[in-house]
Amino acid sequence: MTVGRKAASGAPAGAPERRLADIPAAAWLAVVLVAAALVMTIARGPVAVGQTTLNGLVAAGYFSLGAVGLTLVFGTLRIINFAHGDLLTLGAYLTFGISALGLPFWPAAALAIVLTALIAFALDRIIWEPMRRARTSTLQLFLVAIGLAMVIRYSIQFFAGSQVRAVGQDVLSSLSVGPFHLGTLQALVLVVGVAAVALVGVALAFTRFGKQIRALADNMALAEISGIDTLRAVRLIWLVAGGLAGLAGVLYAAAIGSVNPNFGFFILLSLFTAAVLGGIGNAYGALAGGLVIGLAQEWSTLFFNARWKPVVGFAILIVILLIMPRGIFGVGRARS
Amino acid sequence: MTRRYFFLAAGAAVALAFGFSAAEAADPVSVTIGKLLELTGPLSENGPSQDKAVTIAIDYANQAAAAAGVPVKATAVSADAQGDPQAALSAARALVAKGASAIIGPSITPESIAIANGLTIQKKITLWPVGTSMRLRTIKDEGTIFRTVPPDSLQAYALKTALIDKLGDAKGKLLSIAYRNEPYGEGLSKDLTAAWTAKGGKVQGPVVFDPAQATFDSEAQQVVDNNPDAYVVIDYPDTFAKFGAALVRTGKYDATKLVVPDALAFSTVPTNIPPQALEGARGTRGGSDVSTEAYKLFDQLWQKAGGVEHFALDANSFDSATLVILAAAAAHSPDPAAIAAKIHDITKPGATKYSPTNLGEALKAVWGGQPIDYVGVAGAFEFAANGDPTISRFDIYEYKSGKLNVIKQIDAAK
Amino acid sequence: MSIFNVDFWIGVGVVSGIYGIFTLGLQLNVGFTGLINLGQVGFMSVGAYAMGMLVVDAGWPLALAFPAAILISIATGVLVGLPTLRLRADYFGIVTIAFSEIVRYVFQNAAFAGGNQGILGYDADWRVFQAWASGRLAAIGLGEVAQLPLLVAVWASLLLCLAALMALQSSPWGRVLKAIREDEDAAAALGKNVFAFKLQSLGLAAALATVAGFFLAMNVTYLYPSEFDPSFTFFGYAVLILGGFASYGGVVVGAVLLCALTEGLRFLELPLSSGQSGSLRFIIVGLILIGLSMFRPQGLFGGKAEMQLRA
Repeated sequence: MTVGRKAASGAPAGAPERRLADIPAAAWLAVVLVAAALVMTIARGPVAVGQTTLNGLVAAGYFSLGAVGLTLVFGTLRIINFAHGDLLTLGAYLTFGISALGLPFWPAAALAIVLTALIAFALDRIIWEPMRRARTSTLQLFLVAIGLAMVIRYSIQFFAGSQVRAVGQDVLSSLSVGPFHLGTLQALVLVVGVAAVALVGVALAFTRFGKQIRALADNMALAEISGIDTLRAVRLIWLVAGGLAGLAGVLYAAAIGSVNPNFGFFILLSLFTAAVLGGIGNAYGALAGGLVIGLAQEWSTLFFNARWKPVVGFAILIVILLIMPRGIFGVGRARS
Repeated sequence: MTRRYFFLAAGAAVALAFGFSAAEAADPVSVTIGKLLELTGPLSENGPSQDKAVTIAIDYANQAAAAAGVPVKATAVSADAQGDPQAALSAARALVAKGASAIIGPSITPESIAIANGLTIQKKITLWPVGTSMRLRTIKDEGTIFRTVPPDSLQAYALKTALIDKLGDAKGKLLSIAYRNEPYGEGLSKDLTAAWTAKGGKVQGPVVFDPAQATFDSEAQQVVDNNPDAYVVIDYPDTFAKFGAALVRTGKYDATKLVVPDALAFSTVPTNIPPQALEGARGTRGGSDVSTEAYKLFDQLWQKAGGVEHFALDANSFDSATLVILAAAAAHSPDPAAIAAKIHDITKPGATKYSPTNLGEALKAVWGGQPIDYVGVAGAFEFAANGDPTISRFDIYEYKSGKLNVIKQIDAAK
Repeated sequence: MSIFNVDFWIGVGVVSGIYGIFTLGLQLNVGFTGLINLGQVGFMSVGAYAMGMLVVDAGWPLALAFPAAILISIATGVLVGLPTLRLRADYFGIVTIAFSEIVRYVFQNAAFAGGNQGILGYDADWRVFQAWASGRLAAIGLGEVAQLPLLVAVWASLLLCLAALMALQSSPWGRVLKAIREDEDAAAALGKNVFAFKLQSLGLAAALATVAGFFLAMNVTYLYPSEFDPSFTFFGYAVLILGGFASYGGVVVGAVLLCALTEGLRFLELPLSSGQSGSLRFIIVGLILIGLSMFRPQGLFGGKAEMQLRA
């Protein structure tokens, strides 16, 4: 689309034009966000803007972490995995189950995350792989995802009940710096969220497996022919996606304090929004998308009643896609 | 002559004896109660506790009836409303197909309206929603809808009174209102705002929060900004667990300034709500002359049954189920229309009052054909023609160390 | 046995008819145009609310409000399609969900749409019709079956829409649509205005969604935003894929089967708690959906060759 934009502008490709198109999308994003923050500070004051920015970063932590697994699977396997949200729920509930057997919370969580990764791996072997072999269409896979989501969510509910469960972590402890405050667990979400996404991005860019996965995302057939063990790469993708989902679920549960079996499904749409906004298939895209949505939603409470918060995320998605049809960091075909 | 009279008298005595025993060994009334529960879907956190509330009501009533020699036995069938009006309508039909004589539930007004208009009005089956929306009152329900939850106008009056009790006066006092985005909060907030400003107070907000959000910190901040004199948060326990935590984290929250309505009334604060969010907070809930004993009994039954903790409005569902069983006893029949016809007779103003602590005697009285005024756990009802409770007695309570203590009772007379 | 309750199954019939009409629109988009429209419930919502508001707020008679609502939702479909149809298929899907969620939240929070209190009372004219119809049915002894007029109306409309769509499909317009779905660039190369055809397809789907929405509104007699959430669309997709890709007739059969299954499972009596029974019902539906996709991916009436739609 950049090409199209350049051509449409009509001006000869002179020096200023080229430099403009070269500045990476990340820089544009940073500039826009900072500019928005400055404008709002003038309107509402630094304390309000600062605090809502912190709140927005926390939300971004949840969204980014949850969206990374989604975007990986979508980018490489073209599966709109509607069961992803329920993998978050699975991670949280497995933690409850394991800690009920006596393990303290965080070790239980670590074990639960590993289990979730293994379950995602197993589901691929049992369900997704055979369908890939049968060359099933995207729509069919979509229906499988919906069915799988139901099975996972309602199985959790069958054993654990639909009532709200306290996670038992200290949701009240918070860090204060001047007029600003941040929940301790929320800070954890922020740090771990960003770190995990960055790690995935780095791994994709620099490790051998990462390069293989990127080749797969680009063109599966070509990747196979060039000798990449696509089967192994795909299985690794599911392990990573499942583990990230479990991690996101556990952190969400710990920081927000209480959950019920629907929470993963409720957050799913925001995760998709973040993934698409940032550019499907790109780990940094998940980060960018989560950031934009988290910040936009919390900043919107400075100007509109908080009841409109859910609309903001969706509205931003539509606006951004109209300007950048592949998402912020999106690459690849713009049309089907 | 004497011999004839003797045989006549003997015959009469025998007939009378048979007649009496026939009356005592009358056909037992077997009434099926339909539980319309939110088992799956966006409101499913509601389901387990409402299920438990109706189940313990049925068990308790069956025990009381057996002990009192009243041949009434209740059983239950359940169906999933799924949080969706179309599904709820289908669920209600399933309950009727399974033999339900009355339907306890649903939890939201759209479901209630769909079921009322699509099923229960036509079939003269009583519907007992757990909701307060004024919309429901605009339907011509032909005496089939009954609610044990007080209407918003009365509860708003109670909240206002509780606030004035705390602050001394409304004039010039800033009240910060927040509610979860749905009809319960919207209606109550509107009524309370009107009542408070009419008394010279000021209102900040309302801050309306969507329950599915990932963080509530921005909304919580808006509630505590400008250091209001009091806050009113109209919410359900599942969201309040998160919202309350966010309030505490703002660092500017004073729980003693909080007043909450009946959806956040529990004898013991559930474990998922951080205790600091409610410590010293006050609230309102339906009450009566016998509130203390009735709630105590209800809590004993709840603890004994094990299982899930309290959620919102459990006592109201308990009362609805008990009323249905009393009506079936009064009607000597599980026929839905017969039950509907008896509801006013068992909550008649001026009649002898009974409560859960003497349910057995209440059953005996109605079985014998007497009208009574049954006072439930959540208060007396004395239903108006439109099925709303008219009694306006409210408990004002305070949370201390995670336990609810009633500090006074008020009358929210219109 | 309680499962053979007539009222219950007539209710199921109404719901399957509503899903049938709704999914016919989806099939037009997905099976015949290649558009992954995940926001169909948003069009249904706009249409139903438009009708409700015209009757209750503006005092229009239902017979005028309904066609007006259809026009409004067609316009909405076009408005949504104009900026978004150029996106790649999967992004288009997500954007349409975003649209339907925006509609839902706007109706929940805006005063003009009744907000949390919804809209009530728009069905007065319909009740008059229903009473008249019941009177007529009483002549053949069916006057007491309350929802029968609604059932007949829904299914008559469904079959009419089905016939119309099938006729449309064999028309020149339909053939262009099919060409677009199979190879968009080739169709464009032949001089067809692909974009215009896609817009028309979306608009028509919106119209069908509104017809479904009309009957939904008459069934539940109360307009409330959360009735129109994405789960409705997802269930529609399940119906579509069950019935078969690119088969209108399959949609009707799929709707009946899936609704009958989901609702019929309410009568499954096992020694479980209420909560567990509730969960089990959806575990079973989910397993059936998975099994269906794995072992008969083309659905009941779809052709295997039709299936290769890759985003």
